Amino acid sequence: MSLPQIALVFAVMAPGAVFALLGLSWLLGWVPSERVLSRITALTFASCMFALVAQLWTLGSTGAAAVVVTFGNWFAVHEYRFPLVLMADHLSLPFLSMTIVLSGLIGQFSATYLHRERGFFRFFVQLHLFAFGSLLAFAAGSFDLLIGGWELVGITSVLLIAFFDQRPAPVENGLRVFAVYRACDIGLLLGVFALHKWAGTASFAGVLPKLPEAQSTVVCLFLLLAAAGKAAQIPFSGWLPRAMEGPTPSSAIFYGAISIHAGAYLLLRVQPLLAQTRVASACVIMVGSATAIYGTIAGRASADAKTSLAFASLTQVGVVFAEIGIGWRWIATAHILGHALVRTLQFLRAPSMLHDYHRMHSAIGGEISPTGSHLEDLFPEKMRVWLYRWALDRGHLDTILDRWFIHPLLALSKLLTRLDSVGRSKTVTRRMKPKLSMRSPAEQGVE
Amino acid sequence: MADTAWVPDRLVIIGITTGAPWFAAVVLTVWRRHARIVGFTASFVSAAASALLLRAAPAGESLYEALMLLFSCLTMGATLVQPKRDCDSRTIGGILFLLGATLFAYSSSNLLGFLAAWILSTIPFLVRGGFRARSWRPAAALSVSSLALASAIGVISGSGHTFSMDNLRGGSPGGMTAFGLLVTAVVFRKGIFPAHAWVADAAEDSPAIPTALLLNGHFGALLVAKLIVPLFPHTVGTLFPLLSWFAMATALYVAVRALTENSPRRLLAFLALSQSACILAGLESWTSEGITGALVHWFVVTVSTMGLFAILRLLEVRFGENLTASTHLGLAEHAPRLAVCFAIFGLALVGLPGTLSFCSQDLLIHGTLMSHPVTGIVLPIATAMNAFSIFRLFATLFLGRRRTGFTHMADALPRERWTLAAGVLFVVLGGLFPNMIVAQRSADADTVAKASHPGAQNASARPLLAPEKPLTVVPGRFDFQGH
Repeated sequence: MSLPQIALVFAVMAPGAVFALLGLSWLLGWVPSERVLSRITALTFASCMFALVAQLWTLGSTGAAAVVVTFGNWFAVHEYRFPLVLMADHLSLPFLSMTIVLSGLIGQFSATYLHRERGFFRFFVQLHLFAFGSLLAFAAGSFDLLIGGWELVGITSVLLIAFFDQRPAPVENGLRVFAVYRACDIGLLLGVFALHKWAGTASFAGVLPKLPEAQSTVVCLFLLLAAAGKAAQIPFSGWLPRAMEGPTPSSAIFYGAISIHAGAYLLLRVQPLLAQTRVASACVIMVGSATAIYGTIAGRASADAKTSLAFASLTQVGVVFAEIGIGWRWIATAHILGHALVRTLQFLRAPSMLHDYHRMHSAIGGEISPTGSHLEDLFPEKMRVWLYRWALDRGHLDTILDRWFIHPLLALSKLLTRLDSVGRSKTVTRRMKPKLSMRSPAEQGVE
Repeated sequence: MADTAWVPDRLVIIGITTGAPWFAAVVLTVWRRHARIVGFTASFVSAAASALLLRAAPAGESLYEALMLLFSCLTMGATLVQPKRDCDSRTIGGILFLLGATLFAYSSSNLLGFLAAWILSTIPFLVRGGFRARSWRPAAALSVSSLALASAIGVISGSGHTFSMDNLRGGSPGGMTAFGLLVTAVVFRKGIFPAHAWVADAAEDSPAIPTALLLNGHFGALLVAKLIVPLFPHTVGTLFPLLSWFAMATALYVAVRALTENSPRRLLAFLALSQSACILAGLESWTSEGITGALVHWFVVTVSTMGLFAILRLLEVRFGENLTASTHLGLAEHAPRLAVCFAIFGLALVGLPGTLSFCSQDLLIHGTLMSHPVTGIVLPIATAMNAFSIFRLFATLFLGRRRTGFTHMADALPRERWTLAAGVLFVVLGGLFPNMIVAQRSADADTVAKASHPGAQNASARPLLAPEKPLTVVPGRFDFQGH
């Protein structure tokens, strides 16, 4: 293996190895102190960054297009193979760099922010798992391997939303997010299956195969479903404000930077196929544009800082989706990088900014002057009221999802319960009660 | 090629494998002491003998030997993890009796032997004083399945004039009548819709760990792989998809049903049923990926559900029998290691990356979608719902405000911890390095597929897929071989 290949493998595997070691040490009964843990984290991401810089330098000096590491097949059954290929090309390298830099940054920030917090160790273990999942997804040379990283990002995201598990609201919201993720991941599974069936491969370490337009459309629409779920695009945007229940550092890295852009990365990866189909491109543009408009309107009616930032994030990701649909690949990539860095800073600054704001507020002894006029002032009064109510209920997206999907499913489940209890004696029949939370984040007191 | 020079006669080893647990069960009925030690020793002997059998088995014909080893190890783990209050001679004796019957069923190549093992495995769940549930449905379903199998074997032997499975292979003995009766036996034993309700009843009313062992014997799938596919290859081609559709319907039905279930035991039973219905669907898919995925998933479901039921029982013993998934109990605060093991087993059941089920689900979904592009979509949907349900159960049991009312409860004890750790290691290491398990099951899958298509050389003889395209390496890239 050459130096860039070793560097790529190290950069991807190091957080995973640290996660495994920390998990094992906990199982054996040893929990490192906060200082040791933060130093391990800093060392891990610093060395990952060093490896990545070495890789970038080598690539720059040799002019090579990409680094590919092939480990053969993870498993194979006759013609069906699961290739284990890592790849760092012009698309994945910016995402890998972003993940490593921001994960290291978040690690350093959290060492202070979560000092003496009950779940300090748990947070750092999950941070390493998340970094590993993201790096695996971004460095994957095939959609099969990308699924692995994608799922790990989803699981850690949900576990960190439920981080403050003493309160029921974070746990219920984590459950809700998990349900949306799993439902949308069906699109990813079906899209990858369709690629295997029609193209004979799901690898993009080479060149994505050309498919007939109808088949490209089907594949892209399946992948759009997965991307929309992960990036909280319409109609799945309802989970994003709920996800703000997690600690601020995890909100910053997940919903300001990396996880929220994973959907865009998937679409960027599949962009050559997307360019072959007008229908799917139009769908991507429509979903992105609608989400951008929704995000900006709903964000204006948000009362708390983190949710406002989440909606601002949503708006930008919607614009990124539209850019990808149009075919502006590099503009979208640059947009993602810039947005991720700015948004992470805003998320991390939000708690202290509020503190500063309150201090300033009391220092000047009165109200701080309003920020000025807004675009919505141009609308007629009636429309403004309607828009305000619409934004306050976050576009009724959760209500629609509940009314048209979750409630009927739960009703069906209860009907089946009644059918199953036919023939059971009453003493052994237990009362059944649905557990999915129908309360909005505002009702649950999201901060 | 396996080294068989030092291995004693196969029949002797099979006798030791199945005889040791039965002998120990008899010993326990007479000498009612040291039940855990006797149980562990007997299952260890069975596991060692099964390992010998597996070592001696030729490539592609090691499925049942591997299952025997797995089930023996599972029972060994069950005897270790069984809480002290459940560890009486009656329970351990029943478990050992079940182990002997299950191993006998796996190893038998004779119809009468198979029938005897099938019936014997149900006896602890039929007799009062055994593991019999209060509800009538488990006993009824198990009895109907035994009756259907007995009738089918009667018809088959009447038509084929022999009880040897090898001699009856491919002959469709007994025709549609025997086939229908065998399918009935599968439906009732496996808990396929509409005969699914007994599984949850048994899980709720009967002792948790023995019931998990009964369910994880997977006698229904065994009957399909051992009898239905080899004996009725032509009928299978035309009518078997019906059973597959019912299996997929069961996977979806119980997945939906689990969404509002608040009894942890019933919920786990539904999840186990939904995932094990996927095994049947995969076996029927006729694709090498689907069958291999089903066989690997068989292993995963067995270990994961056993782990989940064991942890649930340990929680019941510590925190009360009336655990419910309707409120957050916050048990992770008291039992963090049990919580982590529960999360890993639960997520391993539904395809968490890094566990063996990620590979099995990948193959299973791929194979099923290949053979049933429309109905195959049911499997990922059911799996997604199951993932939600298991996470809901985890969240309600382990997360939430710290439970008060007691001062201190022990987390996993050393014997429990190491047993659960072995299970976790199996699903995790199997997931990180799946090639060995997948390759072995792939060879077994070819044998199963060959039995259903006697003319074919292997399962891939059926044109299922365009060959995978080799990776194209763009000039200027570094690749592993240094080109």
